[in-house]
Formats: sequence, C-alpha cells, structure tokens
Amino acid sequence: MKRRRSLRFRLLAGVLASQLLLAAGLVWAGIAFTRRQLERAFDAGLQGRLMSVAALVRYPESGSGLLFDTSLLPPPRRRHPALYQVRSQAGTVIANTFPPSVVLPEGAPGARNPYWNFRVHGAPYRGLQAVGLPVMDSEEASSAAAAKLDVYYAASTEDMQEEAAAAGFAIGATSLGLLLATLLLAAWIMRRELAPLRTLASDAAAISPRNWRLEAAPAQSQSAELQALTEALQRMLARLHESHQQQRAFLADAAHHLKTPVAVVKSTLQALLQRPRERAEYVEGAQAALHGVERLAQLLQRMLRLARLEQEMESESAAPPLAELAASCRAAMERVQPLARARNVALRGNGLDRGYALRADADDLELVWVNLLENAVLYSPAGSAVEIACQGAGASVQITVRDQGPGIPADEAPHVFERFRRGSASPSGGFGLGLAIARAIVQAYGGVIAVVPQPQPGATLRVVLPLATAT
Amino acid sequence: MRVLVVEDEPRLAANVAQALREGAGYAVDIAPDGEQAQFYLEAGEAHAYDLVLLDLMLPRAGGLEVLRQHRAAGGRTPVLVLSARDEKESVIELLNAGADDYVAKPFDLGELLARAKALIRRGKGQGSPVLRVADLEVRTVERSAWRGGKLLALAPMEYRVLEYLAHRPGAVVSKTELLEHLYDFNWEKFSNVIEVYISGLRRKLDEPFSRKLIHTLRGQGYVLRDEEASA
Repeated sequence: MKRRRSLRFRLLAGVLASQLLLAAGLVWAGIAFTRRQLERAFDAGLQGRLMSVAALVRYPESGSGLLFDTSLLPPPRRRHPALYQVRSQAGTVIANTFPPSVVLPEGAPGARNPYWNFRVHGAPYRGLQAVGLPVMDSEEASSAAAAKLDVYYAASTEDMQEEAAAAGFAIGATSLGLLLATLLLAAWIMRRELAPLRTLASDAAAISPRNWRLEAAPAQSQSAELQALTEALQRMLARLHESHQQQRAFLADAAHHLKTPVAVVKSTLQALLQRPRERAEYVEGAQAALHGVERLAQLLQRMLRLARLEQEMESESAAPPLAELAASCRAAMERVQPLARARNVALRGNGLDRGYALRADADDLELVWVNLLENAVLYSPAGSAVEIACQGAGASVQITVRDQGPGIPADEAPHVFERFRRGSASPSGGFGLGLAIARAIVQAYGGVIAVVPQPQPGATLRVVLPLATAT
Repeated sequence: MRVLVVEDEPRLAANVAQALREGAGYAVDIAPDGEQAQFYLEAGEAHAYDLVLLDLMLPRAGGLEVLRQHRAAGGRTPVLVLSARDEKESVIELLNAGADDYVAKPFDLGELLARAKALIRRGKGQGSPVLRVADLEVRTVERSAWRGGKLLALAPMEYRVLEYLAHRPGAVVSKTELLEHLYDFNWEKFSNVIEVYISGLRRKLDEPFSRKLIHTLRGQGYVLRDEEASA
C-alpha cells in the first residue's frame, strides 16, 4: 500500500529542494570566484618572479656576453620546482631549468596570451613568456649596446589548486551546515504551525450524530487560514445538524402519528375477534379495518410527499415548466366539490377567468389549492361558503382562500403550517399535514403563505406566488 | 364498573369502548377532547368512574393537563394512559403526574382489558382477580360467580352488580352508586332496575344456601358480607 505523504513532508521536501539549489549556486559561485582570485594572484606572482629572474642577468666584468647570477636565487623547492629559461635575443641560452620535454612557445606573444599551461611529470604548471626585456645591470648599461632578453618562467599550480579546493571545501561545508540548520528550523516551524491542523482533524473526527460541536481552540485562531477553515467547518456542521434535526423530528413525528391509525386498525380487528359474531358483523368489521388501512396508506403517502418536498426545498432543481394558475384553481375546486357537497358547503371562485402563468408544476399547484380548500371546507359550518380568489399584483399573484368557519385564533396563526398541527377547533378526520404540504410547495416555488389577520369571523389564508417572467 | 374513555380518534374510542363493554361488561363513556373529559370528571361524576383511559394528544386540553387537574382536585380514580409517545421521559413524567399505568399505541386490546381490570381491582383494595366472600367466588377474568363449588347462572347485569359489591365486601353501597357505576351517563332512566337485579341475585345466590350474603340496609343501600363470620 502506498503511504500518503504528509503535508509536512511535502513542504519540507520543497524547502530542501530550494535550499539545495541555493546552496549549490552559492558554492559554485564562491568556488569560481575564489579560483579566479587565486589565479590572478598567481599570475601576478609569476610576473614578479619572472622579473626577478630577469634581474639576475648581468654583464660580465670581463669579456662579452651575459652571465646569470644564481647566487641570489632562493634554493629551489624540492617538489615541483619553479622552471625558468633566460636567453638573449640572439638565441644564446643564458640559464635554463626547463626539462627538455617542455616545448616553449616561440616568437613574440603579441596578441597571444603570454601565459600557457603544461605538465611536468604529471604536475600542472603555468608558465609566462616575456620578450625583449632589457638587462637590468645598470653599471654597464652605457658601455655596450643594451642586450634584450627573452625570459620564460613557470611555476607549479598545484598549490593554488589545493588552495582553491580547500576554499571550495570550506564553502561547501558551511553551506551544508547552514542547510541542515535551516532545514531543522523549517521542520520545527512546520511542526509547530501544523499542530493546530492535527488538533482540528482530531476534533473533526470526534464529531458524530451525538456530538455536533467543533470548538475553535485558541491556537487555531492564530492563523487566518485555519480560522477560516474552522469557521467553514462549523458553518457546514451547523447546516448538517439542522438538516439532521429536521429529519429526526420528521421521523419522530411520523412514527408518532402513525401509531394512532395503526391502533385503530389493530383494535378494530381485535374487537372483532373478541367473541364469535354474526357474518354481517364480520363484514362490517372487515370494512372498518379496510377503511382504517386506507387512511393509514393516505397518511403515509402525505408524509412521504411532505418529506420529499422538504428535501426538494434544500436542493435547487431545474426551472419548472409553466403552469396556468386559474386552471389549477378550477381543477382543485372540482376535486374538493364532493367533500363540500357532502358537508353542504358552497365553493366559489373569484377572478379565475384571467390567466396567470407561473413557473411551477401544475399538480403541485393544484395540491396546494386542494389542501387549502379541504381545510376550509372541514372548518366551515353547513350552509356557508368557501371562496378562492386570484388577483394579480405586479410581478406576483395573490390567491386567497376564505371560509366562514370559526377562524384562527391569533396565537395559533403562526403554527397552523407546522406539520401534524391541528387547530384547537379541529374537526376530526384531518391528519394535520395539508397546510404543511401547502407551505412546503409554495416555498419551493419562491412564494409566501400566511394567515391574514382579520376581525370578522372566518379564516383567510393568502398565498403570494411570483409570476413567470416573459422570455 | 364504569370507565371514561378520553380519545379524540372516534374509531379508536369506539373500538376500545366496544372491547370494554363486551370483554369486561363495563359501562363506558367517551370524551372526544380534553375539555369534555374535564367536564365529565368535574360534573360530580368523578366518583362514578372506576377507571379513566386517557389519550395524551387531545384537542382543546391535553391529556396531561386533564390528568393533573383531576389529581389536583383530589380525584382518586385510577388513570390508564394511552399514548403514541413511549419515550422513557414521558412515561416517567406521566406516572409522576399521577397516572397509574401506561400503554403505548398501537396497544393490544387484550392487554388493555387486563390492565384495566387490574387497575380497577387495585383501586378498590383487591389483589386477586378472584374475589371471595365466605364460600362465594367471583372470578373476574372469566366473569363467573361460584358458590359452594357450583357455577351460578347469573344474567350479565346480575353479575355486574355482584362484581361491584364483591370488590368492596362489607361496604354499604347505595342504589345511586350502583346505578352510577353500572350504567353510562344515561343511568337515571334505569333507576328502578337495581331492585330487580338484587332480587334476582338473592334468588340465585342466597336462597339455595343457609348463609345469606346480600343484605339490605333500609334507606342506605346494599352490602355483601358474611354476617356469621363478622359476628
């Protein structure tokens, strides 16, 4: 299994790579510079020593020619001694320590570099050629025509190279030491700075359905990035918690409200079996049980519908198709008509001749009006009327459902849309889900639903929905 | 025995009432909401109930409120709570508020009946489901009466009168009390029938035996006791 590399490891690797690059550059530049300086100094020394070798050439006290005074020469080095050759321009070699194997450059250097490199017995040498130097014996200068000298001088560069290597080693070692030190420092800083991240991770790992709290430790508030992360996590948790709570509440509500209809069916069947009965009684009991099961199924269907709607509200879905408002109101009136007739309540439409286009699912809209109308009819006394009215108002449309029932007390008005909420004057038979479903649908389509406060008897519910914008 | 069923779901209330009537021979009143329950319990009828079956989720006044008010007013009627809520906290709260027992919906009617009988029995100071006075045995589970090892062929109402008397042997029970506890709130129209049942009981229970168990105290009521044993 491939181990996932930690952030710290990656950062350290990055730091190490950049440090190495820096150190390599510095070492290379340092060594090159040192080498150049050493070479310059060596060349200057070479020139000086060539001159001093040239200065050893004298005119003899008697006779002609030139002589080389070795008495003033320092004793030659045992290892890789300096080499020189002095000759008159006439070609007479006055002094020579070059081994025959070394080929000296001939002729005036001119534009040519007067320095050249060669090897003697494997040792590196650098030589300098000087042409036409005057003999610096001042005593006889005037007595004869001044002779000119060609001088070659070479010295071993081994020492210089050793020095350059030593300098390079010193620079390299220092760089390496600093590299290690900075790396350790970086590791320590990272460890310190990333510690809150580990704390945050372990805190986040402790979050469970029982524990939704993510504390922002003081260390975490030190860095802006971590604080932002913590806050984002906390906000996410809050949203998750809310949604979780909603689901739990819904589940608890649902389970709770399913128990009574189940109890009805169960007790119906048990009462039926309590003692032997007539055939007609069994049929009646079975029908009662069937009715109970049908109600149970209806309740389940509505609960699922509401759960789905509440979930849809949280997730933005694609733009719904266009629907015609008045048509959905008329369809709803038709669906509620049998119930209204059975309860001797008249249904009236108002303003349903005008068309209003809404962005909504037509079935959803119809369900809203059905639920509002059913609710109004259930609360209406026999012989009264329920009215549904549509009225455009700018970019939105207002739909009101009014009944002549007992009305909604002011203290209950904010709660009527809660699921499983049944009014204090609740007629039996409702589940307390109709208005909750209506609200969920209205809100899903960006609308508002509310109880209209009013002094006269009866209840008025108002829905405001945005009209579809012309495209 | 007379039971008040407080339940807003009419079908469930009807089923429970049917079970209590058919399965235990109890008289049953139904209150469909909290306010009506309070009315029944306050209107001088509280003592007429031998048991209250109380749903918690009620319109107008909640079950817990009805229970608290009944207990605060000194009501001693056993209360059996029916509820869809069965979390531990709410059970504890209910019992601490004065409820005597609890069944969670959807309950078993058989269990409900058994618990109802047990609560009534204990509310009247009886432990055993078999009530004994001298050689009379009233078996409340199968609803039968035996004397001297012989099954008495009692009419249902005669058995109910006997069962009520046998729950409190030695106590004087007035005719009104019998009426109140054996009929639902329409009891007044049955005011003359008690004498008929008592005489029927006497004929079947006492006449074949030398020791009389049912005694009439003029102007006070009836008492079921073994005079020879107490003498």
